[in-house]
Amino acid sequence: MLGGSSTALPSAPRDGPVSVSCRALHSGYAKTPVLRDISFTIDEPSVYVVLGPNGAGKTTLFRTIAGILRPTAGAVLIDGVPIDQQTSRDRLHYLSHMDGMPDGLTVRECLDFYARVERASTADVERVLDQLEIREFRDTFISKLSAGQRKRASIARVFLREREIYLLDEPTANLDPKVAREIRTLILNLSRNRIVLYSSHNLFEAREIGRHVIALKGGALTLFERMENVRAAHYVIGIRTLPLSPAPEGWERSGDYYLRELSGPGAVPGLIHELESQGVRLREVREMENPLEDLFT
Amino acid sequence: MESGTDPRLPTLLGITLRRSMVVGRMSLVIGGGMVVFYSALFGIAGPLFVSVGTVILPVFAVSGGIGGALVFTNDRTKGVLEYLVAYGISPRRILANALIAGIVQVTIILGVGLAAGLTAYLLSGNALTSTLPEILLGYTFPMSYLSVTLMTTIGVFWTSLSSPRSGLNSPLGVLPLIGVLPTTLLMIVAIALGAEASRVLLVGELVVFVLLASLLARTDRFMPTERLLSPA
Repeated sequence: MLGGSSTALPSAPRDGPVSVSCRALHSGYAKTPVLRDISFTIDEPSVYVVLGPNGAGKTTLFRTIAGILRPTAGAVLIDGVPIDQQTSRDRLHYLSHMDGMPDGLTVRECLDFYARVERASTADVERVLDQLEIREFRDTFISKLSAGQRKRASIARVFLREREIYLLDEPTANLDPKVAREIRTLILNLSRNRIVLYSSHNLFEAREIGRHVIALKGGALTLFERMENVRAAHYVIGIRTLPLSPAPEGWERSGDYYLRELSGPGAVPGLIHELESQGVRLREVREMENPLEDLFT
Repeated sequence: MESGTDPRLPTLLGITLRRSMVVGRMSLVIGGGMVVFYSALFGIAGPLFVSVGTVILPVFAVSGGIGGALVFTNDRTKGVLEYLVAYGISPRRILANALIAGIVQVTIILGVGLAAGLTAYLLSGNALTSTLPEILLGYTFPMSYLSVTLMTTIGVFWTSLSSPRSGLNSPLGVLPLIGVLPTTLLMIVAIALGAEASRVLLVGELVVFVLLASLLARTDRFMPTERLLSPA
């Protein structure tokens, strides 16, 4: 398992909870405004999943918070200090959706390259080689790696030096499910005392890792909520019955499942009792819709 | 965000130089090989080494100094520049590293080429004159540096302002041609005019310098941060 060892990240000085504030933020590209009037403040260490359909402005939001794109209006503040100040930049890590691995270098040389940028030590490079389990191909040129290996090497950079805020743009894209889960575990461990903004198109992953949801649509903020408070507009459950069981009455058939819309999860126990009284023998009961899907419609 | 890099951040110059040697090794070998070949050839020919060889050398030297522009283009495509900007490395620092990488490559090529040419020149029984260092220091080296800097600057700005693409359709595909254009034109005019050659070369250097300075003065405009980002 990645990071199975108990090696800890080098500590960064920390006086108290850090905060990330977007204040009436407008941002985008020269000819294309993207973000419109985004305002929120994050001051609780946790994983904040940023969701939205393609073109909603997720990457633009990350780039603006990271200080790569200059806001056209409004401001990004890290503990009250504008992001274009180096002291603010030094408090966050940014992982883009691209690998960002320079050509013509081996994995080890790439990490040395970023260690220089990060002002991390050789010992830190050695540590992440083990932590991300990439030591075996440390002398392999980046161009010779598989997509998954490249991603792991790319993510290793984030663990070179501890920072207080992490902006991770689709960090598990192109990874197989096992490695993706291990990366998520690393990130969850990280988020115990750090702020992590995490974008993903995988809604089940988002539900698994996210403690808060930031939803964007058309460049505007449509939701900033704790994950447990996000409810589907239509709560649908599906059941599968055992062979020879009578069919439930008043349910819609869809493939192997019988579907029914309920008012919410609280109505499920009563419904199961009702089915049992009809003599229906249940094999499986499950939520058929991820409430996060509604954020994409 | 187009302001300078915080002085506490690393310059990344050393590793950029090394990467430019790796990524640009083919052009370095070809450019260096041609300079060595022609330099030695003119060295054997004697006086022609001083009058013509020193004027031709920048043409081949510049074509081998594309490594800085190559590193920039690769880094932009791979998303490396995006990280560097996020960590506070300014576009100006990134450009400076690319320019210095090109200059270092040209220095290597000229150094090796002139060593070969001078050796051939002296072994052929020719004596050193004061004209040779005058031409080398007055034209060969400065014109080579100006040309490679102009070529890299145009390559970086063009790459920044255009969508990522590859092959001959990309800025890199025609960059060596842009690089050798000033030196080739000057060489032809100088040889054609004969007696006025030194004045033509001097004016040519001045024109390239002014063009380069006017381009570099517009770095923030031609190299805005958002144009360094990888495709979303």
